[in-house]
Amino acid sequence: MSRKLGTLVLAMGILVGAMGLKTVLTAHANGTVLMANNPAPFPDIKQKPKPAPVQPGRN
Amino acid sequence: MPGSVALFIWCLGTLLELCFVVCSLVRKSFVRYFFLNLYFILSILTSAIRFLTLNAYGDSSEQYIHAYFYTDALLTLGLFVALISLYSHVFGELGFSKQIRYGAVLLLLGTAAFSYGVVRESEARLATKFAYELSQNLYFVGLVLTYILWGAVLKLREARARLVQFILSLGLYFSAYAASYALVNLADKFSVIRYLSQLLACLLPLSWSITMLRHTEDSRIATAPLVAVPR
Repeated sequence: MSRKLGTLVLAMGILVGAMGLKTVLTAHANGTVLMANNPAPFPDIKQKPKPAPVQPGRN
Repeated sequence: MPGSVALFIWCLGTLLELCFVVCSLVRKSFVRYFFLNLYFILSILTSAIRFLTLNAYGDSSEQYIHAYFYTDALLTLGLFVALISLYSHVFGELGFSKQIRYGAVLLLLGTAAFSYGVVRESEARLATKFAYELSQNLYFVGLVLTYILWGAVLKLREARARLVQFILSLGLYFSAYAASYALVNLADKFSVIRYLSQLLACLLPLSWSITMLRHTEDSRIATAPLVAVPR
């Protein structure tokens, strides 16, 4: 097996392993988002309330 | 606007990142560990961009959400490159530099394709969701890559103290990140959990700065006692 093919197989194996690990760890996740790259505070992601529908005939 | 604790941790983390860059310059190792320094320089610039956006629009604004996720994807890419540079340090002398570059590009393209596959059905915020998904997936690829690198370090009996400490710190950082998922699910109601990811981000610059200060390029360490089980 050539070195290139070996590298390709190894890269795909790592990718499959990493995604499998992610699936296992996040299987029971409650939707909380974690980012650990930079200590900046996480943005406040909340659904903004939709504006109430305007009813016809009311001013 | 976030609370004073969150702002304090942010300032502390940024100072630690700056500390690593300064230590590298003082110890004349800036070029040798260029990609590790580049990652922290990018992180400092990111902090500046995020602070300006946060100050101008607030933490629940679309602008801050976009700035946060796009810069995070960029930083994860920087960390991935930094990790590949550590691979080059370990395997470079064995003549595997070309294969490492080839493998890194393949992994990056594969992760990007996988991330796109996950989010392509989304109608709203496709680009932001892609940036977030790519960032998360690259973290897990980084985790697996770090464990493989640690295995190689043990197998090759790598003795350069700085390199060994950098890899160990990175492994600890990625593992703590993965473990924090479980912790968040277990104890989401505790307010301290909110600061967990922020504190994790301080771990890497702190441990790398200590390594840079404590060891010189000539320092050697025996890796066997690090994994030996006392009887």
